[in-house]
Amino acid sequence: MNDPRRKLVVDDLRIGHWSRRSGTFALACDGLTFDVAENAFVAIVGPSGCGKTTFLTALAGLIPVESGRLELNGEQISGPSRDRSLVFQQASLFPWRNVVANIEFGLKAQGRLDAEGRARVAELVELVGLSGKEDKYPRELSGGMSQRVNLARALATDPDLLLLDEPFSALDAQTRELMQEELTRVWQADSAGSGKTAVFVTHDVPEAVFLADRVIVLSSGPAHLVEVVEVNLPRPRGPEVKRSPEFQEISDYILSLVMSQNKPGRRTEDHDSNAALSR
Amino acid sequence: MTATQLSPGRVRKTPAGAAAPGRRRAFDRYLNPVLGAVGVAVVLASWQICASTGVVDPKFSSSPSGAFGALVDSFKSGDVWSPLGSTLSIVAWGMVISIVAAIPLGLLIGRNRVLYALTDPLISIMYSVPYVVFLPMLIFWFGIGADARVVIVVWSALFPLLINVIAGARNLEQSHLQVSRVFCASRLMTLRSVAFPATLPYILAGVRQAVGRALIGAIVAELFMGSAGLGYVVQLKTSNFQTDDAMAAIAVIAVIAVLLNHGVAYLEQRLTFWSRTD
Ligand SMILES: Nc1ncnc2c1ncn2[C@@H]1O[C@H](COP(=O)(O)OP(=O)(O)OP(=O)(O)O)[C@@H](O)[C@H]1O
Ligand SMILES: [Mg+2]
Repeated sequence: MNDPRRKLVVDDLRIGHWSRRSGTFALACDGLTFDVAENAFVAIVGPSGCGKTTFLTALAGLIPVESGRLELNGEQISGPSRDRSLVFQQASLFPWRNVVANIEFGLKAQGRLDAEGRARVAELVELVGLSGKEDKYPRELSGGMSQRVNLARALATDPDLLLLDEPFSALDAQTRELMQEELTRVWQADSAGSGKTAVFVTHDVPEAVFLADRVIVLSSGPAHLVEVVEVNLPRPRGPEVKRSPEFQEISDYILSLVMSQNKPGRRTEDHDSNAALSR
Repeated sequence: MTATQLSPGRVRKTPAGAAAPGRRRAFDRYLNPVLGAVGVAVVLASWQICASTGVVDPKFSSSPSGAFGALVDSFKSGDVWSPLGSTLSIVAWGMVISIVAAIPLGLLIGRNRVLYALTDPLISIMYSVPYVVFLPMLIFWFGIGADARVVIVVWSALFPLLINVIAGARNLEQSHLQVSRVFCASRLMTLRSVAFPATLPYILAGVRQAVGRALIGAIVAELFMGSAGLGYVVQLKTSNFQTDDAMAAIAVIAVIAVLLNHGVAYLEQRLTFWSRTD
């Protein structure tokens, strides 16, 4: 349990949502078990509505764990913490803050916005390719730029564990491609980034394979583990990796796993049987 | 043949079509104020004609020229300054107190479910009941001095502002609060850096509403219990049959009202530029 390489331990985890109106509990993860090594970039894929976002919000400490272990560095996660940050699915920028002020938010919230913090923010602005856009407000940014600010904001606090929830899903194919490359570049280039662990949720299997060291495939909801697939592609990875046969092979394999979860009708059945477990 | 005829037509049409919206907008921009001025001029002119031709008795109805003369006189003699200052300072004090009280209070109530449930009916009632109805009671409690008038202005302005701030604080984007929580922002930081700016458009809409009501409150208070202020001047001059002077004072009040409204609208534009969607 105290193996230093096991950064994150998920063991028989059950989480879900209490509905305040009806007083019922809807299970989102049921008996989820896997673990994540230190410094790994892990991607989670699974059918829509299976509980990926719910899992990530629990990991961020935004919703409580119903039962089971969800341990980071050997300690059960019970709330948000400074060593984790989340890249939201929607950019969720503060419209009244400009690019720099948005990126600074986490540092400011944690009382760490000193000269060093500012320097780091300036560095990140450059790293995510937003130089010259420092004073722009979110309404003046394109979707891709907003996502880059979102990413930089999460990186700014220099988290131990970076959580990313389909950060590129709202983007068009081209921007998405660019952002994936940018994320690998940032991940590989950010000096502070080495020695960090990332959990990346996505719908897009090639994206998962391109970015991750391991891909965790979840079942349709409520989610449990289907398989952990190792991605043994060499780093640093450039866009050409996507054309390699190994890449194709791994992608096809994962896709077949995901598709087998997506049998028509299966999801609704599962939801019906699990949707209402009253307390 | 048809094709060759069509294409030059289309080529010619495109720039004209593209230019039209711009010209249209400029046209509207100048047209609306001009039309507004024409409307005012027509009413003033008919009033003047009715008064000059004796259709109405200018002793009772005053007349634009008479009122304008009285206005100029009041500025020349300096008689206008003291009531103007009195009304303005009461409105200003009332607004300052209302804003300082309503913003933190509203944020607090809006962000706290129990406090909200506790105060919501009360505030709704206070907001809905015509506030001037409390005037006799307030006079009974606070007398008829300047303090009492400030109390009335606060009474008039506080509730619309409070209701807006609460509505804003309750309508915070869930995602913004999540960002705040993920980065471990303290409650105070969340209130100051998330809840407050997110509520600012509501606050300013509330201020616009409150300023209008504050002015009404001040004038009504002066009419009722006046010893000073523009409302008192209107009351005094009317009862002395000096309708020209009364109309002049009303004109000053109208100018204040318009300026206050525009001032707040300007503030809204400056402070919440980030929320515009255009
Ligand atoms: N706030 C909520 N209250 C109640 N139930 C919720 C809530 N959010 C999600 N759920 C339910 O929990 C389950 C998992 O949702 P979740 O958002 O985690 O799925 P997901 O895997 O992220 O899906 P997607 O890939 O489409 O984003 C779904 O059945 C959903 O209906
Ligand atoms: Mg999701």
